Amino acid sequence: MQPHSGSDAVIVRVPSRAEFAHVLRAVTASVAARMSMSYEQIEDLRLAVDEAAGRLLALGGSTLLSLRLVALADGLEAVVARGAVDAVWPPAGERESFAWRVLTALVDEVAIEGDANGPAIRMLKRAPAADLAPQGS
Amino acid sequence: MSSGSSATSSDRGAELALFERLPDEAARADLVSMFLPLAEYLARRFDRRGEPLEDLVQVASVGLLNAIDRFDPSRDVQFSTYAAVTIVGELKRHFRDKGWAIRVPRRLQEVGLRVNQVLPELSQELGRSPTVEELSNRCGASPEEILDAMEAVQAYSTTSLDAPAGEDGVAPVDVLGEDDPSLEVLEGWATVEPALRELPARERRVLYLRFVRGLTQSEIAEEIGVSQMHVSRILAQTLRTLRESVDANPPRGGEPREADPDEA
Repeated sequence: MQPHSGSDAVIVRVPSRAEFAHVLRAVTASVAARMSMSYEQIEDLRLAVDEAAGRLLALGGSTLLSLRLVALADGLEAVVARGAVDAVWPPAGERESFAWRVLTALVDEVAIEGDANGPAIRMLKRAPAADLAPQGS
Repeated sequence: MSSGSSATSSDRGAELALFERLPDEAARADLVSMFLPLAEYLARRFDRRGEPLEDLVQVASVGLLNAIDRFDPSRDVQFSTYAAVTIVGELKRHFRDKGWAIRVPRRLQEVGLRVNQVLPELSQELGRSPTVEELSNRCGASPEEILDAMEAVQAYSTTSLDAPAGEDGVAPVDVLGEDDPSLEVLEGWATVEPALRELPARERRVLYLRFVRGLTQSEIAEEIGVSQMHVSRILAQTLRTLRESVDANPPRGGEPREADPDEA
């Protein structure tokens, strides 16, 4: 993944509890809507963020859950990440899991990422070029 | 074995004696344990509406406590009758409060229903799924309201967007149970398999159509005869259910494993 300037990224951090995943979903939907994604694309991306958040929360621990959204030339990139956790990442057989199947069906690209600083799942939903600046008047 | 009527009258005597001792905590506790089976029985009658049974028993127990505190033994009403009415009232209120009708503001309900209607029309006109802005123009609601309505649909399980073709009506999918191909195909994901088996046939079929056949939400909506928003809700909630079941029964293993060649 090539580094982004940072100025065009939307970043949200929430406590690592399932009830906060809706904040990530809502922010994702809002940003995707600004990029003029379709209803279906937004629904897919929102489900994918929810699923990715669920995967990372299942690792346990109490480090923050974060979402980073970046508008790219070919779509919207969403990286869901945790701070460092004790659990093994990715778990054995992650790419054969049902969750992985779900993610790959919902978005165009999925990658397992992460290092000593924590696990992450990067996703790309393709869409026509757009930027995140507020539209309209 | 005591006969029903004599047991009832002696129970009633014991019951009244306990009420006379109120607000004594021990008497109150005895009344609670005496009528807890009633609360549990009533809670079970509200089961299968998407709420965990233990939560419902909790709600019913609150109703029972209220009934104990408010019951007037001097009146010619059996406590069990009074308690049943109070407990059912508490359970109904719980569903009302948790459900679409109260938790989701009226305005959002209206927008949600409007989006539900407009989606298929607009999709057909445009030949593609509409954007939020297009929905907003057609529905006469702000984009924020459209997004809030979309979120509300996925977040709440007691909505009734599809009552006619949904849970309560005879949806075409109800007949599918017999030769449902989806279970076979979805099996093999060991961690979710037990939960998949417990899903209703329709939910399983939606998963199959979306994640195995790769159909879009609107295509699935057409195929199984419910609205697109309903498909969206089924997907969100079914995935959540599966995830919770996996979290509750983690797969065996978990010991450190060797490096995964894929990871390089």
